[in-house]
Amino acid sequence: MAGALDGVKVLEVAAWTFVPAAGAVLADWGADVIKVEHPVMGDPQRGLISMGLIPGGPGAVNYIIEQPNRGKRSIGLDISTEHGRRLLYKLVEQSDVFLTSFLPETRQKLQIDVEHIRAIKPDIVYARGSGQGPKGPDAGKGGYDGASYWARGGVANALTPECAEYPIGGRAAFGDLAGGMAIAGGIGAALFQRERTGVGSVIDVSLLGMAMWVLSPDVVASGLYGGDPMPKFDRKNSPNPLVGYYKTKDDRFLTFMLLQSDRFWPELCEHIGRPELIADERFADAGARFNNHRDLITTLDEVFASRTLAEWCVALQTMKGVWAPVQMASEMVDDPQVEANGYLRSVSLNGTDFDLVASPVQMDETSVALGPAPEHGQHTEEILLELGIDWDEIAEGKASGAVL
Amino acid sequence: MQLKPGTKLVSSVCETQVVVVRAPEGEVSLGCGGAPLISPDDEPTGELDPALSDGSLIGKRYADEELGLELLCTRGGAGTLTANGVALLSKGAKPLPSSD
Repeated sequence: MAGALDGVKVLEVAAWTFVPAAGAVLADWGADVIKVEHPVMGDPQRGLISMGLIPGGPGAVNYIIEQPNRGKRSIGLDISTEHGRRLLYKLVEQSDVFLTSFLPETRQKLQIDVEHIRAIKPDIVYARGSGQGPKGPDAGKGGYDGASYWARGGVANALTPECAEYPIGGRAAFGDLAGGMAIAGGIGAALFQRERTGVGSVIDVSLLGMAMWVLSPDVVASGLYGGDPMPKFDRKNSPNPLVGYYKTKDDRFLTFMLLQSDRFWPELCEHIGRPELIADERFADAGARFNNHRDLITTLDEVFASRTLAEWCVALQTMKGVWAPVQMASEMVDDPQVEANGYLRSVSLNGTDFDLVASPVQMDETSVALGPAPEHGQHTEEILLELGIDWDEIAEGKASGAVL
Repeated sequence: MQLKPGTKLVSSVCETQVVVVRAPEGEVSLGCGGAPLISPDDEPTGELDPALSDGSLIGKRYADEELGLELLCTRGGAGTLTANGVALLSKGAKPLPSSD
């Protein structure tokens, strides 16, 4: 099936996960995404394989490269050289989108800032991912999601229990991957605008702005009521015991989101095999359950500790109220919803089959097939030949180091 | 043989396929898995030499800087790529000394 962005050409001058993840989403939607990498260093994220973060050895899959770069082509160009820049500009001429994570000063030095790229392709959509946004005192500073999103953006503090000695850490590229999705959405809107008006926009997404968006209930509430107004309850003091975690016999967890507790209380009692609780006056309605929340939580703790997570998943299957098992990443592969919706896609690379996660926007109920990420500069010659560069010039570029 | 950039060659003993992307001035003898690399139109013959079966990986570049030779692997296989009988090294992105 044709992708929504079939025929759209994207030029990516970016590193790590945040902005490259946007390129991956655009590739999922059908765009031809060319990733520009330094001929010697490549995307520095490739180097993580040498740090023991990823199991090495022949045939090892560098998953931290695969997930945000699948479906792209890679060209090795040193755009700090005149020859490399000339070749980059030739690619700009045919591109609809320019995607970059480079800092403002570097963009100026490399002559790839908005004015340089617009001079070649006036209607290009120029998309930037930054740590702190394009304005303000820290606009020129770098950012990683661990700093700009997780720490400065308030997420670490919001998620850390009060008793913790240090803030909890995020998962790899946690804010980057959400941020990349946001950039891709912005580019989609900008391409639509260009289609209608002929004008290409500058798109900005920062990791700080992304964090504020996901934390907006806390941020807005603190603006209204001051301080840190979203309460963190000790679970034994939860005002609605039908919202929260319960531990199972095998030390796993279930969560319940029965916000309309009067509606779902009888159903819950039936499903947990304790129908007599429906008539228990202590728990008769939301008010009574609030007044006796400690009794109720103690009762439910005993109930849920009596069966394993797997047994509860069967017992609660027909419940209408919303609940979920607290799953591990390794369990997604067996989740029937993941299978039914194609949220994991198998990719084959050098005889190794592995799953990548599909980007979360699905069009026409179709999960697109994914290909592996390119090797460092894998398509250098192919892309240059498409541009009409001949083997003599390619050889010249290789000799000077401008071309991989 | 005398090589030219853009020339496609295939292994005669495994699935490996390459494109010559940098060609030396002089003659060079290219092999894979112990047998010569051949033109896709030629008939493959021979058997994989177990001593030269470290394999080739798609998208990787195999080079000999001294010779001025670079092959781009377009299909991976079981054989080791060689130039004048010597195993070619895979070019990789230079790892960072440190990171965030």
